[in-house]
Amino acid sequence: MAELQDDLHTPPEAGELGGLPLEGPLPPDVHAIGDGDDPDAALLDRARALLAAHPVADGYSGLPWALRHLPWYDLETGESAVDTDVPRLRQGQVGALFCSLHLPEGLAADRAVAATLEQLDLVRTVIAGHPESLRLARTAGQVIDARNRGRAAVILGPATAAALDDSLGLLRVLHALGLRVLTLAGTSWASEAGLTRFGDAVVREMNRLGVLADLSGASEATIRRIFAASRAPVLATRSAARSLRPHPANLPDELLAVLGAAKGLCMVPLTAEQTGPSVQDVADHLDHVRALAGPESVGLSGTYDAGCAHPRELGDASCFPYLIAELLRRGWTESDLALLTWGNVQRVLRVADFTARAAQQRGAPSAAKIADLDG
Amino acid sequence: MTSLEEARELLRAFPVVDGHNDLPWALREQVRYDLDARDIAVPQDAHLHTDLPRLRAGGVGAQYWSVYVRSDLPDPVTATLEQIDCVRRLIDRYPDALRAALTAADLEAARGEGRIASLMGAEGGHSIANSLGALRGLYALGVRYLTLTHNDNVDWADSATDEPGVGGLSAFGREVVREMNRLGMLVDLSHVAATTMRDALDTSSAPVIFSHSSARAVCDHPRNIPDDVLERLPANGGVAMVTFVPKFVLRAAVDWTAAADENMRAHGFHHLDTTPEAMKVHRAFEERHPRPVATAATVADHLDHMREVAGIDHLGIGGDYDGTAFTPKGLDDVSGYPNLIAELLDRGWSKTDLAKLTWKNAVRVLGAAEDVARHLQATRAASHATIEALDADSDGDAGPDSDPVSVG
Repeated sequence: MAELQDDLHTPPEAGELGGLPLEGPLPPDVHAIGDGDDPDAALLDRARALLAAHPVADGYSGLPWALRHLPWYDLETGESAVDTDVPRLRQGQVGALFCSLHLPEGLAADRAVAATLEQLDLVRTVIAGHPESLRLARTAGQVIDARNRGRAAVILGPATAAALDDSLGLLRVLHALGLRVLTLAGTSWASEAGLTRFGDAVVREMNRLGVLADLSGASEATIRRIFAASRAPVLATRSAARSLRPHPANLPDELLAVLGAAKGLCMVPLTAEQTGPSVQDVADHLDHVRALAGPESVGLSGTYDAGCAHPRELGDASCFPYLIAELLRRGWTESDLALLTWGNVQRVLRVADFTARAAQQRGAPSAAKIADLDG
Repeated sequence: MTSLEEARELLRAFPVVDGHNDLPWALREQVRYDLDARDIAVPQDAHLHTDLPRLRAGGVGAQYWSVYVRSDLPDPVTATLEQIDCVRRLIDRYPDALRAALTAADLEAARGEGRIASLMGAEGGHSIANSLGALRGLYALGVRYLTLTHNDNVDWADSATDEPGVGGLSAFGREVVREMNRLGMLVDLSHVAATTMRDALDTSSAPVIFSHSSARAVCDHPRNIPDDVLERLPANGGVAMVTFVPKFVLRAAVDWTAAADENMRAHGFHHLDTTPEAMKVHRAFEERHPRPVATAATVADHLDHMREVAGIDHLGIGGDYDGTAFTPKGLDDVSGYPNLIAELLDRGWSKTDLAKLTWKNAVRVLGAAEDVARHLQATRAASHATIEALDADSDGDAGPDSDPVSVG
């Protein structure tokens, strides 16, 4: 059963809130595994041991759209047409995966809705086809549950805001189908000009449901408004530091500081374009984001199968241990690494779950209409 | 004991499973889903055929809420999902009265609790935008039947009230039926052309339903079921749920409606125009030509015939409340079902027969569809067929526009 981690450590308690930095020592035999003469190998062994206890919660996978165009695929034994499959998820020690439902540019309204339903269906079909390896997770508790059963938890989202077709009813229906993350960009109500009144209503309803706001790709005006409006922590599912590398989806230092103060989570993509061509470049971004936003606000985003080039050492979903080894070399503590790979995502999901439960006690579903609010 | 008292007692034991109610569409059109503005916990006689007190009085134990949307909307998938959201909100809002139901077992559990089992049915293939992924999405959200068409053809199926298109079901249409069988979603043949009915019966490995249709031999209207199709229900195991809509069930009402529509067109209006000027023309017509009135006996005539042809195990009820302007006398709203049962008691229907009509047949059909689905899922994966691939050579005018995601 527990194929992903046979050497499971005691997982965090399901009811435990926060409390994620694990200060405990690694198992005593861990240090003995590596070849004492080769510091790189020793670091890699330490990285693997750490990931065994705190696997990667990967903030962005483009797998659904990539699979859509394959006539046939075999994720169970390995699929060379994509960067993600079950063997490589195990090698990469990925314990949770946000599956993007983003759509190509140009799909809007009913076509975006139908395409999003198809993407959701595809992910559900893939999960159903790999019951020993994957498990759909809607809540923080279910992510833990999947991990305890040795499965990688699949979290649905981010989806594109266009998938709502300007309707809160659609948000509720997509949430009922499992959606947990929505990227707030590219619509009339979340544009360069920021959030409209209807956009505020969307954020409130997302909080009520427990759907996380994704800032990556959103305008600065929108991002600032979301910080003000959201009662739950927010995510940037694929954003690095703009001061190190100018890319529109990367966050400027000032916003990284605001994100950290709001206990949000900046998930740094492993892409050549956003972070740079080497594993050291990615680590530089992680250092920078940790310094500005804090160790509780930095995460990882493989961004595999999303049409991006990756640093040479981080070419597919199996490569996370190399990145962790690099961070160990730089002196990251094990508790900071545990937060980076796993703990922060757990916290954000759990706080969002809690916020939603509290909000549902207070209010009924919103019947707000865009025509009334933004007309 | 009068037959009406006897009917009520019978309905307490075996309440009505109604195949089709358009309350969600009425809430959309009247108040744009503002559920506070139409609180169905209190009587809404002035606005609706349906509210909880009248459902109770009518002995309704299970309702397929229609998540119908007009086929000429620019965004039918969005609108359908909004309808689903409406039903989910209603169920959440009235937990003492309504219970979400997905299976035959849920129906029995709801009956045991005295709550109204709430199911969903989608009305028209336009709701899935030629996508089996969208079909599975609707199933995952709780939709348990899909009427293959509404009043207009879809790319893969012909409607009863449109010109012949693909001549029944296209190859993709048959794949839709097979995928519905695999999912456990009932194939609803109300509204479809007789050719589509026959193709669907040839294709489906699960029992089918007619969520709201009556007998064509009793009243010749395309929305009703021809005898040759009714005759196939015993072998298929399906259920025809008789509808009450006067313009389908009463000959005089069919003719009157045709004349009224003709009158509207003669005055330069669309026959469904409800603007004040159009309604003035319509009222003037109605003053000269009093509207014929159907009764519970009219509906009972259909049931007597359908029973002769299809058999007692293949009948049900689908009132179409809040989906039609006029209703029969005595069946004016959802509180009226006991009057129909009383009429049938007076005609000598046994209690055993009536329990089948109101409850048992509909529950059996849903359970049978689940059994077929379990069997098929063990041997068959989800279908990823597309209309482009299957209907390329036909005249189903499936063009690039019919693929929701033909980009890239």
